[in-house]
Amino acid sequence: MGRVEILQGTLDMLILRTLLFGATHGHAIAKHIQRTSDEVLQVEHGSLYPALHRLERKGWIASKWEKAKDRNREFKYYRLTAAGRKQLAAQESKWKQIAGAIARVMSRA
Amino acid sequence: MRRWGSWWKASWNWRRREEEEIDKELRAHLELEAEELEESGLAASEAGYAARRAFGNTTLVKEDVRAISPWTWVESFFQDVRYGLRQLRKSPGFTTVAVLTLALGIGANTAIFTLIHAILLKPLPVAHPEELYNLGDDQECCSISGDQDSFTLFSYALYKEVREHTPEYSEIAAVRSHPLTLSVRRSGDQGLAQPFLAQFVSGNYFTLFGVGACAGRVLVPADEAPGAATVAVLCYRAWRTRFGGDASIVGGTLIVDRQPVTVVGIAPPSFIGETLRSDPADIWFPLASEPTLMRINSHLNNPDNFWLYAIGRLRPGISPGQVEAHLKAEIKQWLAARPDMSEYTPDELEKMKLTLTSASGGIMKLQVDYAEALEFLLVVSAFVLLIACANIANLLLARSTANRMQIAVRAALGASRTRLVRQVVTEGLLLALLGGAAGVVLAFVGTRAILLLAFRGAEFIPIEASPSMPVLLFALGVSMLTGVIFSIVPAWMSSHARPVESLRGAGRSITEGSTLPQKALLVLQATLSLVLLVGAGLATESFRRLENQKFGFETQGRLMVQVEPDLAGYAPARIVALYGALQERLAQIPGVLSASLSKYSPMEGSNWGERISIAGQPGKQDWADTRSSSLNSVSAHYFETIGTRLVRGRFIDERDTPASQRVAVVNEGFVRKYFPPGDALGQHFGIGDKSHANDYEIVGIVEDAKYIDARSPAYVMAFLPLVQAWEDNANIFHDIQLLVAGSARNLQAEIQRTLASVDPNLTVIRTISFEEQVRRNFNEDRLVARLTALYGMLALILACVGLYGVAAYTVARRTSEIGIRIALGAPRGSIVRMMLRVAVAPVTLGLVIGLPLALAGGRAIASGLYGVKSYDPVVLGTAVLVLGVSSVVAAVIPARRAASIDPSGALRAE
Repeated sequence: MGRVEILQGTLDMLILRTLLFGATHGHAIAKHIQRTSDEVLQVEHGSLYPALHRLERKGWIASKWEKAKDRNREFKYYRLTAAGRKQLAAQESKWKQIAGAIARVMSRA
Repeated sequence: MRRWGSWWKASWNWRRREEEEIDKELRAHLELEAEELEESGLAASEAGYAARRAFGNTTLVKEDVRAISPWTWVESFFQDVRYGLRQLRKSPGFTTVAVLTLALGIGANTAIFTLIHAILLKPLPVAHPEELYNLGDDQECCSISGDQDSFTLFSYALYKEVREHTPEYSEIAAVRSHPLTLSVRRSGDQGLAQPFLAQFVSGNYFTLFGVGACAGRVLVPADEAPGAATVAVLCYRAWRTRFGGDASIVGGTLIVDRQPVTVVGIAPPSFIGETLRSDPADIWFPLASEPTLMRINSHLNNPDNFWLYAIGRLRPGISPGQVEAHLKAEIKQWLAARPDMSEYTPDELEKMKLTLTSASGGIMKLQVDYAEALEFLLVVSAFVLLIACANIANLLLARSTANRMQIAVRAALGASRTRLVRQVVTEGLLLALLGGAAGVVLAFVGTRAILLLAFRGAEFIPIEASPSMPVLLFALGVSMLTGVIFSIVPAWMSSHARPVESLRGAGRSITEGSTLPQKALLVLQATLSLVLLVGAGLATESFRRLENQKFGFETQGRLMVQVEPDLAGYAPARIVALYGALQERLAQIPGVLSASLSKYSPMEGSNWGERISIAGQPGKQDWADTRSSSLNSVSAHYFETIGTRLVRGRFIDERDTPASQRVAVVNEGFVRKYFPPGDALGQHFGIGDKSHANDYEIVGIVEDAKYIDARSPAYVMAFLPLVQAWEDNANIFHDIQLLVAGSARNLQAEIQRTLASVDPNLTVIRTISFEEQVRRNFNEDRLVARLTALYGMLALILACVGLYGVAAYTVARRTSEIGIRIALGAPRGSIVRMMLRVAVAPVTLGLVIGLPLALAGGRAIASGLYGVKSYDPVVLGTAVLVLGVSSVVAAVIPARRAASIDPSGALRAE
């Protein structure tokens, strides 16, 4: 199976979902999305950062510079806020509706 | 500019730090990726490239991240400002017209607000003005005995009673209800005495206001004690202008009406007394000196003479409502205990009203006089500003339609709608601020002119025309609001710019003419202009009728000389001789045709009213049923000199001496009110109760003349010979009337010399033409009439400019269409008519909407109009005609240009 570019608008949801497991930095988020989608979803690493900054402006995630445990380097760690948690739930349910609807249309073929 | 620069630098630094952080974050990502790739076995040289490949375009990512930062907003704001300024510079014609229009609109409002702030809003420059309350709410002036409509004037005895027994007030001061003129010269100075506006105040007057002396000391309660030395405090301005700021005046002696007075101090520059008025007091005396200085005219020791205002400082936490009831009871009790109840009837005493009013702005004299006019003018100037707004909106609209292609291209290239709207609004605000700045300058000049108009005849107006902080803030606020208002429509238009339009190709030959919003704005302008023009017409017509009414005297060629005669102690015979000499010498001045003397003259603001009894007419003893009349005492030739016509009988003349039968001339109103037709001559009346009913014999009847209130019918009036009228010191003259040949020449010096040669105790207060004396009564009406006329003209011009702009723009837009029409054989006349319709249609609609509004507006101001109905057909018709004709004229030029379009040229231009 080839790699698929992430649909416009779903990246936000994937980021929020990833941060549900705890605070982490941009690189790890990209890797996590790739890994958990069995390498199907291909995140162009660069596109992650505007999304992160936008989510931060909206108050759904917060950030802090911290030193990584295993490396001698500072990373910007993002974590989910309460508003972000709510937003994730809303986006998830909407996503499920759409996905279900598309699936129903496609299965009638 | 410097401060701007440093602000810019600070924000720039912040911005750079943010940039560095983004860099650091992305670098960390790339390095981590590279390390991981290396760990998975990639060559170190390859790993870096691979990480970059996986990342995508770094620069683009940075751009995207940066766009999310709030600083981008600030940056784009400055871009908008720069862009806006560039746009304005690019079309200097448009910018000039727009800024000028706004300057007129904002300036008109700022000028009126300057006055509203200075007169209605600004508190007195004293300590804690908000605690000050006036005991009473009327502007009743002068002295009064008997019933007051609403209790405001106090006698000295009553004032002392109230001061001592009203603990709710921490202090109550008293002041004479209005300043009066006294002749003052410095002791040892041989020059002529100068008229000073003097005010009598209680000893605690300055303490009440918390005002200290600028030099020497202010008045203190001890100065009010009986037998205290006669002292005075000078106002700062009088000290500078009359005595050249000579510090040795403190402790020096002034001669005031032949009495020596010691100057104890000078008040601070900001203090102009308890009342905001033109020509405030020059000098303050303690009440205790009133009998010494006023002598026979003194009120101080008469408990039933009410002539003082009382103003006090309420203790903290006490509401005026609480004190009112207590005070009223106190005053009623005092009045009831007076013999004859101070001329109150039990019924009047029962109904007596007393209202405390805030005196934070002083005693509200000017405020009451001008509040209505100023509020009306504020509405009028707001209309002008609205019309200006509509004009600019239309200009911007025309421009944004012309720029539609450009806007569409920008939208197509990805500019967001909010950004496009912000761009338009920024440009609007820039224009508004430029206009506002120019408007403030205009307002400063305008306010000075308005002050001169409003206080015609005043020597000093204690109101600053230069804009204060609140005025500047007002101008800024109005400018911003204006900018937003006139940007709304163009902003809406550009937010609906469709990118597809840019693809549809430039220069479509058939485009629609003016848009709906443009037409709506024209209708709005026409509506507002009509309302304003009708208002201006009514105010002007009302003022014209007021000033040119039949007064019952002639002003042409007459001079009025007001005199402060210090004749106390003169024996009657000496006074008679003095008057004879004075009249004779005045008549000898070259150019003087006739001279007369009187207690007061028409329309100078004086009135003397008394209760009278008429012989043979039974009057009840009850005061409420007695007769009353205004009175004046006049010399021979008085009526001839002021031009009041005789109806029957004779004038007062040289036959009337102290020894002869006492006589009177009455006006027609007097006859109408008190006698059956044809029965007045030879009848008798007198001042006071029935015992005086035979004092004066009526020997003549003169036409009615207005003496005090120009808006109501002439008062019932009787004239007594100056040398026979001993009641109430009415034998002392205060006015000279002169009828002069040709136009009233400047005889001031000559008159002064003549007076001094007859008696050095006669001080001339002022010499003015009778015409001017009458005109000064109509300052407020003149102000309203002239300003509404000016603002109405402004509105008309602005509306016409707007109309012209839209018509010209429509012609430009439809050039090729008109070219085709002409090429196909349309007659030029029909082209002109077609283009005129563009302008005339919205104006007609505006008139239809405006007429009922104008009628409603007229009704709202009807109470202030004189001699003209609010629906005056001539005024309404003229306003409609003026607006209609002006709009056609404004549209004719572009219409003729349309008709002269060369079809081949127009089509080639495609």
